[in-house]
Amino acid sequence: MDIKSVIVIGAGTMGSGIAQWFATHHVNVELVDSNQDQLNKALTSIHSSWDKLAQKNKISTAQAEEMKKFLFVKQLSSANKKADLIIEAIIENLEIKKNLFQELDRDFSAHTILASNTSSFPITLLAEAVSDKRKENFIGLHFFNPAIIMKLVEVIVGDKTSTVLAQDLYNWFDQKDKKPAMCKDSPGFIVNRVARNFYGEPLRIVDEDDQEKMREVDHILKEVGGFKMGPFELMDLIGIDINYSVTCSVWDSYNKEPRFAPHKLQKQMVDEGRFGRKTKKGFYQYE
Amino acid sequence: MEEKRKKVFISMSKTIVEFGYKKKQEIISFLESHPNDNVYMDLSCYDPAEFYSSYPQLKGAFAALFCDENKKVEIHLKEKNAEAIQILKDHGLTPIETTIVSCGFIFPRTIAQIVNEAFFALDEGIASKEDIDRAMKFGVNYPKGPFEWAQGRKEYFITLLTELYQKTQDGRYKISPKLLNS
Repeated sequence: MDIKSVIVIGAGTMGSGIAQWFATHHVNVELVDSNQDQLNKALTSIHSSWDKLAQKNKISTAQAEEMKKFLFVKQLSSANKKADLIIEAIIENLEIKKNLFQELDRDFSAHTILASNTSSFPITLLAEAVSDKRKENFIGLHFFNPAIIMKLVEVIVGDKTSTVLAQDLYNWFDQKDKKPAMCKDSPGFIVNRVARNFYGEPLRIVDEDDQEKMREVDHILKEVGGFKMGPFELMDLIGIDINYSVTCSVWDSYNKEPRFAPHKLQKQMVDEGRFGRKTKKGFYQYE
Repeated sequence: MEEKRKKVFISMSKTIVEFGYKKKQEIISFLESHPNDNVYMDLSCYDPAEFYSSYPQLKGAFAALFCDENKKVEIHLKEKNAEAIQILKDHGLTPIETTIVSCGFIFPRTIAQIVNEAFFALDEGIASKEDIDRAMKFGVNYPKGPFEWAQGRKEYFITLLTELYQKTQDGRYKISPKLLNS
């Protein structure tokens, strides 16, 4: 398999990061968004990020300029209809995503692989929007933020996804300095499922709104466990609301299995508007 | 006379640091055989509070069974004791003190649940061991994958999860059949 042309739809944080990664690896990528201002902002930000790397001598100026040649911003109507791969990274709304995939299925070449970067919806459910023929070419490619740095790509195999396609994509990313992980279509895939208890268990160890105990748990898990961030400071960074929402989504998907149950403190904090760093109040206080 | 007897008693107390995995009954037997000593014991898979209340000779507990290559070990000290700390250091360990008394301490208890979930996912055919380890290391920067943590420690994880379940009766601590039987 050779992926030579990619379209990334959605110029938010994830979409921009994914597009930047492809361009960095000299794969032609068209970043698409219906909002032209958002597209221009994303392009400026990605260019600036390469320029900064060049200023810090992490890459040469020539390398930075070369990368820029692989990145384009476009409206969907003018995007390359024969692209090898399209990655959807738009808002997590099932109806909007399904409508988009229906359009992509209709307008793009039969060989084009359609992929979703969703973290919330089953790939098999999204694939309902496309024709039976396209379903084989429909897959989940779940990147992690920041996509330019985090090496993992979860390759998610839906019920009708071709296993040959999944393996080919796995191998392609593996050769391109990503660390792919093959995963069956299931709630939370691998990471958002297995990582739930990195938050859930420390919440139960502390079990109350006690900042000193949280600080101690964070300290032990970094110092003894070797984690880069403690669970409480990480939840504050991610956003208590976001983390709570993912927890509830996985819990619901697994029929309220107790292993995934949110802790009462999470709901209490969301109700109080303590969302973490972004509201300057979370498990900790921020000035 | 009473004062004199007390002094003799103190001078006979030894500091004992006991390493290694033990079943609960073995822990009790060990503590009962050292009624007059100051005992610091590896209770990685258990709740130190359970033993503190019945065995005053237990002056501290640590969790060395889950020690990683960094050799840092969580320790709770009911009574500070420089000799006990030195013995741990002499064994190549770096004690990191915690004031939180929790069943399975902090690090072992947290990774026990991560490891248990990874075994559930494996059992359901979600992904291979290698891909689960890879996902956790490169998606969320874990220092090790769950199956790397489980290597050689399955018995400890099973004991710890069993203890947590027995104490809480919370279904979240039910053990993956794959972890139990592999």
